[in-house]
Amino acid sequence: MSGVATLVTVDPYVCGRTVHSADRSRLPSVLGGDLADVGLAPHLLALSALGEIRQHADGRSPGAGVFTEAARLFAGETLDGEGPGEYAARVSQATGLTAAAVAQAVEDLVAELTQLPRTTAAELPGTGFGPGFETRWVPRGRTFTAVMASNHPTPNAAWAQALFHGYSVLVRPGSRDPFTARRLMRALLAAGLPPGKVAYLPCSHRTGEFLLSEADRGIVYGGDSAVRRWQGHESVAVRGPGRTKALLDTDPGDAVVEHLAVSASFDGGTRCTNLSAVLTSRPVGEVADRLAERLGRLPSLPAADGQATLLVADRERAERIRRQVDALRAELTDHSARFDPGESVVELADGSFLLRPVVLSADRPNHPVVGTELPFPFVVVAPWSGADGVAPLRDSLVLNLLTDREDLVDAAVREPSVRKVTRGAVLPWTAVPGIPHDDNYTQFLLEPKGIVVRG
Amino acid sequence: MPPVADTEFDAHVRKMMTWHFGKDTGSPFWLAKLGALGFDPVADVQGVRDLTMFPDVSAELRTAPAQDLIPRGLADRAFRVYDSGGTTGSPKRIVDSGYRSHMLGWARHRLIESGIPESGNWLHLGPSGPHVIGFDVARYAALGGGVFYTVDLDPRWVKRLLAEGREEDADEYVQHLLDQAETILQTQDIAVLSTTPPLLEAICARRGLYEAVREKVQAVIWAGTSISTENLRQVGEVFFPDAAVVGVYGNSLMGVAPQRPAAPGDPHPCVFEPFPATTRLELVDGDGRPVGYGERGRVRLHLVTEEMFLPNVLERDSAIRVGPRPGSSVDGLADVQTYREIDDVHVIEGVY
Repeated sequence: MSGVATLVTVDPYVCGRTVHSADRSRLPSVLGGDLADVGLAPHLLALSALGEIRQHADGRSPGAGVFTEAARLFAGETLDGEGPGEYAARVSQATGLTAAAVAQAVEDLVAELTQLPRTTAAELPGTGFGPGFETRWVPRGRTFTAVMASNHPTPNAAWAQALFHGYSVLVRPGSRDPFTARRLMRALLAAGLPPGKVAYLPCSHRTGEFLLSEADRGIVYGGDSAVRRWQGHESVAVRGPGRTKALLDTDPGDAVVEHLAVSASFDGGTRCTNLSAVLTSRPVGEVADRLAERLGRLPSLPAADGQATLLVADRERAERIRRQVDALRAELTDHSARFDPGESVVELADGSFLLRPVVLSADRPNHPVVGTELPFPFVVVAPWSGADGVAPLRDSLVLNLLTDREDLVDAAVREPSVRKVTRGAVLPWTAVPGIPHDDNYTQFLLEPKGIVVRG
Repeated sequence: MPPVADTEFDAHVRKMMTWHFGKDTGSPFWLAKLGALGFDPVADVQGVRDLTMFPDVSAELRTAPAQDLIPRGLADRAFRVYDSGGTTGSPKRIVDSGYRSHMLGWARHRLIESGIPESGNWLHLGPSGPHVIGFDVARYAALGGGVFYTVDLDPRWVKRLLAEGREEDADEYVQHLLDQAETILQTQDIAVLSTTPPLLEAICARRGLYEAVREKVQAVIWAGTSISTENLRQVGEVFFPDAAVVGVYGNSLMGVAPQRPAAPGDPHPCVFEPFPATTRLELVDGDGRPVGYGERGRVRLHLVTEEMFLPNVLERDSAIRVGPRPGSSVDGLADVQTYREIDDVHVIEGVY
């Protein structure tokens, strides 16, 4: 993949035209060498794009048909020379997601786009209040900025949803996945989205933050350092580390261990909803051993293999993650070392580096490592007893309760920092339109306006 | 002043060795080092190539009494102290009596060649006080008979806010600076705006101020930090298409290296050249060997003036080495960036 001829060229795209940027950056491939030559939008290019987007922003929705058609094009058609297979291979080589995970992500994106009218209806209360009295849900502003991460393609549905409700949108794609946002934008334009509604701006995080601060509404994905500044900002929806947890208050039978293993390792453990911590009333060492053994059975396969589930990375990134994990392994009890005795980073024949799952255990529920989220299957098991109550379960995007203690379930549902509760063997991301991922996103985008008519 | 050929510069170096290491003319700072050098500068240093025999003393400029830097042969002159940027701790100090003004006379001609108006008033929206750039810009204005406007700007405070993650406080401070600039632009005639790339970005983001600058200002000078190629293109082509946009590379130690007029076929839109009479900027690899043309190297400074002698100083910048213009004795520098050692690249990756 290192030949210049094979490099994919990516450039900013503003209101219907490609802007060739003089600032270039290389995107590495997990197979070694470079995959793409990316044109970056520096501050002033982003600023001119913002000015142009504002000029065209009219708050009108392009209509649901655009999104249904865009979903179809995104999944199946060649767009600006990029076929669906090429797209999937690029995302996989850039992010290390398995071919299966990318295929699943495309399916999920298609579902989210086609379900937009249903999601909207489910997330908004009724608008009729008797003859002459109604509310209308309208955008809270005109412009929307999305600062994306690269861990998974599906979150790109979030900015499409802003377009659906009438916003004009500036997208800063993930630095490792510039492909999904670009393809989705191309699909939307081909389906009839007015070109003045969207700008695609690969750029530094700092420039992305500038665009976030200038837009009427926005969303930011990323790690703690990327999202910290935006906590508590009314105009910005924050999607940081999920710190998804499970409370295991039943005996760890095979089915439960299988459920926890899938929760942790699905899509290579890259989702913010993948399981990061298990708190348990059962013997911690035993639970951690069983989970480590089950995860240790996952094969080390190249991302392109249909059976592959685990994330791969390029040499440098894998090395960086290994150093980070080694420090944590030294601090806690390492269970994977026993059941998965090979290297924690495995060099594969295709040149990529696979990250083996890691299960550690802590001696107390409030150990600072509990809740650490890493971009691959990484789980910390810690003790929990009824006396600990809900406190160790806080700060969870999803909390999986495997318990019969109804009072605890009620307390967890009432806990503000727990964003979603699942019970039984439910995978953390399971939802239908109307089940919020993290608060009511439709109402974040829209506000009700009263309309009263007489005569 | 015409560029000095290298043989001429070598002769200048020899003359300055006699000056800086003569016991009646040299500075206490250098004379104190003489014994420990392990060579005789007057006999052994024959030209620019021998300047690397000297140790890099720039770190000592943080602690050495500035008075000790003044050559004894200039004891009757008045000197001023200027600081390097400095974030925490002690900045590096230089002393200046008349040299800087001499160099700025040359630099002003270079700016005029690049389209800066010969007369007119200047607004400097950048550091002043102990930072020598404030003096430099005031001097340009005076040489052209223009009035010099400025605002107080403490770059160390901004750097501290950013280091503490207080981006919003830093932004508030920037807006406070821009408020003052806007007040000046509303009532005063400004021909030249001198500022830094981050402030230029902030100006462009404030519509009223931006329009005032675009309407009034004939030339924009940027200096102080690097700017990306595309950002620079946006400044010149999109935001200020009717103004001359000129860059100046420099710092307290080395002086100024204004942009040279663009030559046909020049692969870089902005190439800097130092003052040939006193200054050499070499671009070197990790072993201190000069890199080839078109290659990136770390900046190594030799400053040889009557007032200051700073040989073999490794700067914190890297740049691409560009061949000299016809008739010039010094290389050009393009695409200046902050130098990073491989070990520095240890970036702590977040979750994603």
